[in-house]
Amino acid sequence: REERGGGRTMAARGRGQRTLSFTMETVKGDAPPPSVQQPTPVFPVMERKPLPLTGGEEAEYLLALKQDFRGAMRSLPCFIQPLVTHRDVERYSDKYNRSEQMDKLLDWAPGEAPPTASDQSKISSIHCFFRIYPIRNQSLEKKEEQETSEDEEGETKKKQEEEEAEGEEEYDEEEFEEETDYIMSYFDNGEDFGGDSDDNMDEAIY
Amino acid sequence: MTAQEVRLCGLLLREHFGEVVEKVGTHLLKCGAQNLRTIIHETGLSVDLVKKSLCVLVQHGASTFSSGRKGPGSPTEYHASCDRILRILRYPRYIYTAKTLYGDTGELIIEELLQRGHTTMSSTVKTVADRLTQNMAEGLTMDYSEVSSTFSKLVETHFLQRCPPLPRVGNKDSSAPSETPAAPGTPAAPVNTAPPTPESFPECYKVPSVTLIGRGKRQLASEDGEEQRSAKRAKMDPETHGDEGIYWQVNFERFHLHFRDQTIISAVANKLDQTSSEIVRTMLRMSEVTTSPMATCTKPLSANEIFRSLPPSYNILRPILDQYLTLLVDDPMEFVGKAGESGGGMFVVNLHRALANLARATLESVVQERFGSRSARIFRLLLRKRHLEQKQVEDFAMIPAKEAKDMLYTLLSQNLVQLQEIPKTPDYAPSRTFYLYTVNQLPTARMLLQSCYKTVANLVERRLFETKESKRLLEKSQRIEAILASLQVSGAEPEQLTEVEEMITAPEKQQLDTLRLHINKLDSAENQVDETIFLLESYINSTNASS
Repeated sequence: REERGGGRTMAARGRGQRTLSFTMETVKGDAPPPSVQQPTPVFPVMERKPLPLTGGEEAEYLLALKQDFRGAMRSLPCFIQPLVTHRDVERYSDKYNRSEQMDKLLDWAPGEAPPTASDQSKISSIHCFFRIYPIRNQSLEKKEEQETSEDEEGETKKKQEEEEAEGEEEYDEEEFEEETDYIMSYFDNGEDFGGDSDDNMDEAIY
Repeated sequence: MTAQEVRLCGLLLREHFGEVVEKVGTHLLKCGAQNLRTIIHETGLSVDLVKKSLCVLVQHGASTFSSGRKGPGSPTEYHASCDRILRILRYPRYIYTAKTLYGDTGELIIEELLQRGHTTMSSTVKTVADRLTQNMAEGLTMDYSEVSSTFSKLVETHFLQRCPPLPRVGNKDSSAPSETPAAPGTPAAPVNTAPPTPESFPECYKVPSVTLIGRGKRQLASEDGEEQRSAKRAKMDPETHGDEGIYWQVNFERFHLHFRDQTIISAVANKLDQTSSEIVRTMLRMSEVTTSPMATCTKPLSANEIFRSLPPSYNILRPILDQYLTLLVDDPMEFVGKAGESGGGMFVVNLHRALANLARATLESVVQERFGSRSARIFRLLLRKRHLEQKQVEDFAMIPAKEAKDMLYTLLSQNLVQLQEIPKTPDYAPSRTFYLYTVNQLPTARMLLQSCYKTVANLVERRLFETKESKRLLEKSQRIEAILASLQVSGAEPEQLTEVEEMITAPEKQQLDTLRLHINKLDSAENQVDETIFLLESYINSTNASS
C-alpha cells in the first residue's frame, strides 16, 4: 500500500503507522503511480535499445587476445581440474594408483595434524614456505584436445624454509607410498598402453 | 567486497583456473583470512586440491599469506585480493598496450607474464623467443638478446617489477634464506600489519645481469610418436642463467597510469582538436617521472619548456601555442590549469579534475541512454546546480510539470537522484518542509561501478550458458577440425577432405555461426564495460587519495 511508502520517505514516521502524513488535498498534483505488488519481470521490455558495441580493428584485436588468453590458460598447469575418474569397474590397483593422478609437485604439508580422511597420509606436519618455479609445459600448448590433467608432466624445483619440524620422516613417494612392498609400477594395470597414439588414424594398430 | 564483486571474481577464477580454484578463492574472499586447515574443512575439498589452488592463487598474486593472528606460532593465514582478481578483465588491454609500445616482442613478454603470474627473466625470454621463432619465416630465428633488451626496456619504464620477497614469518632466522638473493634485508616484523608493496624494496626495478646467449628454437612439426614422447618426458634443464630466485610480475599500476593519460589525451582530441591533444600529450610525457601516481595534478611546466619539448613534426609558432594553452585553460572540462605567470605562464594538467569530469560525463551518458535526453537534461541540471526544488527543476529544464515529475520520480526510484529535506519547523510537517532534489557524484559513481560488475558477471554467465547449451555441437566441430587438420598434414585427397567437412550439416553450421557471433558479442561487451569500470575506479581512487 502506498501508505507504507509515504510513511518512510516523509519525515513524520511513527512505528508501524498506517496513516498518511499528508492527504491528497494538501498535496498538489496527480495521484502517485499505482504500487507494484510483485517483483519486476526478469527480462523487462526495454523502452530504449542500448547503443551497438564499438567495432573496429582495436576492438576485434582485443577480442581475439581475450579468447586466445582464455584458451591458453586452460592448457597451463595452473588450470586445476577436479579429479574425475571415469572407471567402469573398480579395480584393485585404484587404491595404489590414485596418487599417480596428482602431480608430485608438492611435498608441502598442512600445518596441523594430518587429515584422517585420506589414507595416504604419512605426511609430516611441517610448516613450509615455498616458491614454485614455473612449470614448463611444452607439448601441450600445441594440442587442442588434451585437456586432462593426467597428461601434465613438467619439471619443478622447489625450495622450502622450515619453521617447525616435528621429527617425522618424509617418505620417498615413489617407492613407499602405501606401505606396500612393491614399486608403484607393479600396480600399472596396462590401461594406459597404446592410449597415446590415437591422433594418427592412418597407422595400423595391431 | 560486495556480493557482485565476489560473484564476478568467482566467474573469472572459474574461467581461467578451473572450478577448484574458484571454490577456494571465493571461500577466501567471503570469509576473510583463514588458515589451511579451516579452508580444507569448510570447502570440503581434498588436501592436495586445496594446496594446489592456494599455490596457483599465490603464484598469480591473487592471494597472500602472513603469520596467523594469534602471534608467531599460529598457522599461516591466507587472504585473497578481490581487486587483483578483477584485473583479469583487463588483461587483453595490457597486452595490446604492450604491443603498441614495444611491438610483438613486448606483447608476448607481457602475455607470458600474465599467464604465468611470477616468472624469472630467463625463462620468459626463452619462451618468448621460441614463440616468436615459431611465427617467423623459415630459417629465421629470434635471438635471445633482442628479447632481453625489450624486457629491460619494460623494466626501465616500470611496466614490469620484481616480486617482493616473501615475508619472513616466525623466529627462524639462522637458516640461509633461499629467497631472492638480490633483495635487501627482509622485514623483520613477525606480524605484518600491511603487506609491503613491491615498490618499497629499492631493487624493485633493477634488471639482473643474466647470461642468456642463444636463439629461439623452432618446434618441428612432429610426425611420429617418438618425438612427442621425448618432448613429454620431463626435461631437466641444467643451464642456470644467474637470475635464480628473481621473479618478475606485471606492474598494473603503471599500466593504469598509462591508460589514464591516454584517456585524457583522447578526450582532449575529441573535444578540441589534434594539436591541443598533442600539447597535452607533451605535457604528460614531460611529467611522467616527476608526478607521483596519486597526485591531483602534474608539476607546473612553463610555456617555454612545453614549446621546446613539442614533437618536431608539430612546428607551431610560439604565439599559437599560447593561444592553444589559453583555450585549454578556459575549457569547461578543466584539463589544463594555469598555475602562475613566470616563464611565459606555468601550466599544469589537472589529473583529478579531468578524471572527475570524465566520470561525470559517463554518468550523464548512462542516464541519457537509459532514460532519454530530457531526463539527462534534468540530471545535468542537478549536477550543476546541486539542490533544486521540483518547481525550479521544471523551470530550468523547460519541461512541462507533469513529465518533469514523472522523470524525477523514475530517477529517484533508480537512486540516481536523492531527496533532501529541509524543515522550516521542528516537526517536519510536509507542508512546511522544503524538498530538494540533489545528485551526489561520488556515491552515484560507486553505485554505477557495482552495476558494471553485475553487468560483466551477467555477460560471463550468459556466455557460459550459451556454450553449455551447444556443448555437443562444439565438441563435434572440434573433433572434425582435428580430423581435418591431421588429414591435411598427412596429405589426403580433396575428396576425403570434403567428405569429412560434410559431416557437419548445413543447419548445424548455421547454428555454430550464430553461436560464434553471440560469444564474440558477449566477449566484446565485457571488454567495453571494463573500460567504464576503469574510468569509474580511477575516479573513485583519485577522490579517496585526494581527500
